[in-house]
Amino acid sequence: MSESRNQIEVEALARKREWHQAQARLPVREKVRILLELQRQDLPLIARRRVLKAWERPWDVTP
Amino acid sequence: MKSSRRTSDERDEKKSAASPVRISGMASLADVFRVLNQMRDSGVVTEYAVGGATAVLFYAEPTRTYDVDVFVTLQECGAPLQSIAPVYWWAEEQGFAVQAEHLMIYGVPVKILPSFNPLVEEAVIAARLERYDDVSVRVVGPEHLVALALQAGGARRRERAWQLLQAGVVDRPQLTAILVRHGVRAEIPNDV
Repeated sequence: MSESRNQIEVEALARKREWHQAQARLPVREKVRILLELQRQDLPLIARRRVLKAWERPWDVTP
Repeated sequence: MKSSRRTSDERDEKKSAASPVRISGMASLADVFRVLNQMRDSGVVTEYAVGGATAVLFYAEPTRTYDVDVFVTLQECGAPLQSIAPVYWWAEEQGFAVQAEHLMIYGVPVKILPSFNPLVEEAVIAARLERYDDVSVRVVGPEHLVALALQAGGARRRERAWQLLQAGVVDRPQLTAILVRHGVRAEIPNDV
């Protein structure tokens, strides 16, 4: 039981590492697109916890 | 020193981008990088290099950031403290607003950081010339990014250093040499 659980954990960690490596290999322009998307998703959530600084806005640019 | 490091690509950009003020259409990050080249070409700084999370985009997975850190070297003036006020004046002359410590370049907050210690200065001098669309942009190399993150400390920066190490883009002997040269103490396991 615990051996199969260990195996699942090992495989999950390996898949996670592979995903991070795949993200790192993306073209820079695609990474910037992801960054802009993260900003649009995150900043409204941060704004619910604290007052945003004047410059803390999603960047108004295309990738 | 400045001109000897520039490529013909960079010189061509200077000719083709006479004005940093964009007249129509939405700007792209390439336009922001173009302005950094113009800032250097104007002589207001002697050299620049993009650092922080924006630099990490060139080597590792995307990481959250809300501003662009730009390290700059300034002309020696003999004073113990060098002012970066001329950079802000230059930006305002080009039509870019200043908000707190940020230059708002096409809506992107750019934080100008003078090279405040020998490690930062070395990082600017040794920066890599990367391409972003049709623009050449000077970006702090991965080894210096890790060293700067470890020197500055803090959980977020340490995570950034680990991301770069895990991405396999860091030359470990070169990183070790940088850490030793600048007295940055850090244990970096081989399996990271």
